[in-house]
Amino acid sequence: MPAEMENSSSVTLAAAAASGEASATSSASQMPPPPPLTTTTTTAKKKRNLPGMPDPDAEVIALSPKTLMATNRFVCEICNKGFQRDQNLQLHRRGHNLPWKLRQRTNKEVRKRVYVCPEASCVHHDPSRALGDLTGIKKHFCRKHGEKKWKCDKCAKKYAVLSDWKAHLKTCGTREYRCDCGTLFSRRDSFITHRAFCDALAEESNKSVQTVVVAETKSSEDQKMQTVQTVGALSSSPPPPPPPPPPACSVISALLPVQNTEMLKNQPLNADDMQPSNACANAISSSSSNGSSSNSMCTSVFSSPSVGAPLQPQTTAYSDLICAMARTECQTSSIAAASVTEPTFLRLSPSNGFTLFGMTAQDERHYVRPSQPAMSATALLQKAAQMGAAASGASLLRGFGISLTTSPDQQESLQGNHNAEGDSVNPAAAGIGLGCASDGGARLTELMTGPSSLFGSKPATLDFLGLGMAVGSTSTGGLSALISSMDGAGRLDIGTALDRRNLDD
Amino acid sequence: MDATLHTPKLQHLIYCNQTLILGNGEAHITTMPNNNNIIHSNDQSSLTSSTSHSSESNDPFSTGKWASKLLRECAKAIADKDSSKFHHLLWMLNELASPYGDCDQKLASYFLQALFSKATDSGNRCYKTLTSVVERNHCFETARKVILKFQEVSPWTTFGHVASNGAILEALEGETKLHIIDISNTFCTQWPTLLEALATRNDETPHLNLTVVATPAMERSVMKEIGQRMEKFAGLMRVPFEFHLVTGLARLGELTKEELGVREGEAIAVNCIGALRRIDVDKRVDAIRMLCGLKPKVVTIVEEEADFTSSRDDYVKCFEECLRFYTLFFEMLEESFAPTSNERLALERECGRSIVNVLACDNEEGEGEEGEESDRREKGTQWCEKMKESFTPIGYSDDVIDDVKALLKRYRSGWSLLPAQGENNEVGLYLAWKEEPVVWTSAWKP
Repeated sequence: MPAEMENSSSVTLAAAAASGEASATSSASQMPPPPPLTTTTTTAKKKRNLPGMPDPDAEVIALSPKTLMATNRFVCEICNKGFQRDQNLQLHRRGHNLPWKLRQRTNKEVRKRVYVCPEASCVHHDPSRALGDLTGIKKHFCRKHGEKKWKCDKCAKKYAVLSDWKAHLKTCGTREYRCDCGTLFSRRDSFITHRAFCDALAEESNKSVQTVVVAETKSSEDQKMQTVQTVGALSSSPPPPPPPPPPACSVISALLPVQNTEMLKNQPLNADDMQPSNACANAISSSSSNGSSSNSMCTSVFSSPSVGAPLQPQTTAYSDLICAMARTECQTSSIAAASVTEPTFLRLSPSNGFTLFGMTAQDERHYVRPSQPAMSATALLQKAAQMGAAASGASLLRGFGISLTTSPDQQESLQGNHNAEGDSVNPAAAGIGLGCASDGGARLTELMTGPSSLFGSKPATLDFLGLGMAVGSTSTGGLSALISSMDGAGRLDIGTALDRRNLDD
Repeated sequence: MDATLHTPKLQHLIYCNQTLILGNGEAHITTMPNNNNIIHSNDQSSLTSSTSHSSESNDPFSTGKWASKLLRECAKAIADKDSSKFHHLLWMLNELASPYGDCDQKLASYFLQALFSKATDSGNRCYKTLTSVVERNHCFETARKVILKFQEVSPWTTFGHVASNGAILEALEGETKLHIIDISNTFCTQWPTLLEALATRNDETPHLNLTVVATPAMERSVMKEIGQRMEKFAGLMRVPFEFHLVTGLARLGELTKEELGVREGEAIAVNCIGALRRIDVDKRVDAIRMLCGLKPKVVTIVEEEADFTSSRDDYVKCFEECLRFYTLFFEMLEESFAPTSNERLALERECGRSIVNVLACDNEEGEGEEGEESDRREKGTQWCEKMKESFTPIGYSDDVIDDVKALLKRYRSGWSLLPAQGENNEVGLYLAWKEEPVVWTSAWKP
């Protein structure tokens, strides 16, 4: 680790309760208030995970672009294999029967380090938005400010990070998109075109315009409300029970508290986790501002209750999300994250929305009509989009990984795995029990095979949704997909491919 | 099976000649036995003397394309006004042709329809009947199925969509108020992906005003429905969106800014896909001038690569070109679709109507009755000449070309991208099917 910091300057960031307060006020008053949320999250997480060691000061490290772009600086003198980290080289040397030493570190001595992006125009240039680990900042810098020199032959997508490109190659063309009319698509644009013309979309065509108008009159109020709620939930610890959703916002608002509590419980160590919370808050406010319209729209889009409606989140809901965040700083990174890792297959059963989310007056209007799936499909779509954006970060896993692993080494590597895409994460996944796959291998599998213990700590949250959870995982190389299915009041199957988060060797 | 697919054509011919004598041809054609036992026959001889069942021929090229030979012969006879010959050939073709058969039989069937109309001077009537049938059966449901299925199996249309959308997105980059004037036959199927691209654009999502210029028939049948769906989808994508429908494709050159709803401060893109060919040949330059008057940021033109215009007065030559083009098209359909596909049949019928229009309709003197469209295609180079009077070409960026290449890779082999060679001042890109350029796309600015 010290080796990494040759040309780094370090600053101390007081990421403490003070900023948490500031966040509460600022986010209540204006629309894009992302940073405070993060800070709060970080602080709380730290306190929770490292009890008795209240070290709120994180060291902010600014690495030069050159350092960030440097690859495999640690070269094995035997086989010339290069590594990005000395630790990894040491492990490798062990294989040659060479002397090796791993840094031993004890929790007591560890001082949390966060990394800022050298690009002055980047949101992560600000220490308050620093990213939580070295791999994360490197990939961030490469993705956002580096040349995209890796190009997929099949679909012409370009990537700056080789591992992103490799991960994409494994899924490119294999993804399936299924419209709820039953048609399967292997190509995204065919799917998009089909969706626009599918009957499911048209059924409520007359209704939409009116509802949009109605919804928009409420938007600003609701937005504020939502934001306040979000902040409130975050800043109080332990988290209060989920507040009842305001009438105009449907599913998302219902889920909101859940997300928040999840975030609190899994408080990631890293400052970059703030991003997810921002995204989350923004998505929420957008959904509330547009609650009824998206409602009816989604209802119509996924109109057949009996059929699963696999989504392509980055198409629809994802776009919604992006729109919602249009003016926030986290937009770019979210987009990029989503484009890097896209859920393979997402199946939603809209009909479940009734029991799951049918709690607002607005929604009841839809439920009355048996042929219409409850509105939840919309919200789930948006949810799915968030997950799509979030999959790369998998804050859920990160949180668990950090809090549940005992060995420091494991902890570090897990963190490396899951924080790799440090700059865009969405905790929402946790909220509805998204299962994530990772190549973390055995360690991760261990983590994931005990879902009950993972989730046992928040019965209130899960019961609120009435979701049971089953998690399975594959841990082969490259990208692994994990499908978590939740059976509860509503059967909700969500499969998500999670981009591989790997150590750099 | 493959072998039988190629070989039975001659058998059909021979068999039909036999059944023809029995006066029982139609019924047998579709139930033709598919044995591999072929008698090599010279088409020519079996045509000219219907009683000769076969005569040995070693010409390998004669075995494949009996339809084109017969049809050419027939067209020539009609042009020569050799009535006994063309009557005989029409009779022959009638026995051999079937819209449900193989490629040759299909071609024979649809071209026969046109030749018969031409010979009997009933082209306009035939065209009108076909059109009314199409309109009666045309509904959103079927149109959607056919168009989307076609896009699924062949890049014939999606090629132009991707190239045009790419050019439009690049030309309108950073603009906040977009107005796309869509003069095309695509029934808005190219816009969902564009809407999605706008929705995920880095900067603020722009406002999109989409004005579709349609024919009255299009409007009556499906465009209103489609408009609603576009609005719906734009809402889902959270793209601020307006949809307007303007009828009057036939008088495109006379449309005004007001009719098109052009407003101050809008960045305009004009999208012409398969549109210019439907304008009367003599009004095309006017239409292009009108488009220039809109001061668009970009005009995208996509047309199928065929020339039914310059040879208008030479019937045989025009026929040859028409046959060449539709043979390619039918073969492409055959390789793209399953044999029993209803969508394929619908597309072929549409071609049949178009063939009648080109080969049998007398729309030179016609006053351009309402709803009557031209189908006189022109080649890329010809459009270039016309466009260059008012516009300068915009080259496609590498990104767009990459997108198009990626698109082609998703389809079966046989498709390729041909950049314009720059000869004859041509610009743009060609979609090639088995090395033959079939669709031309280009982008322009005033």
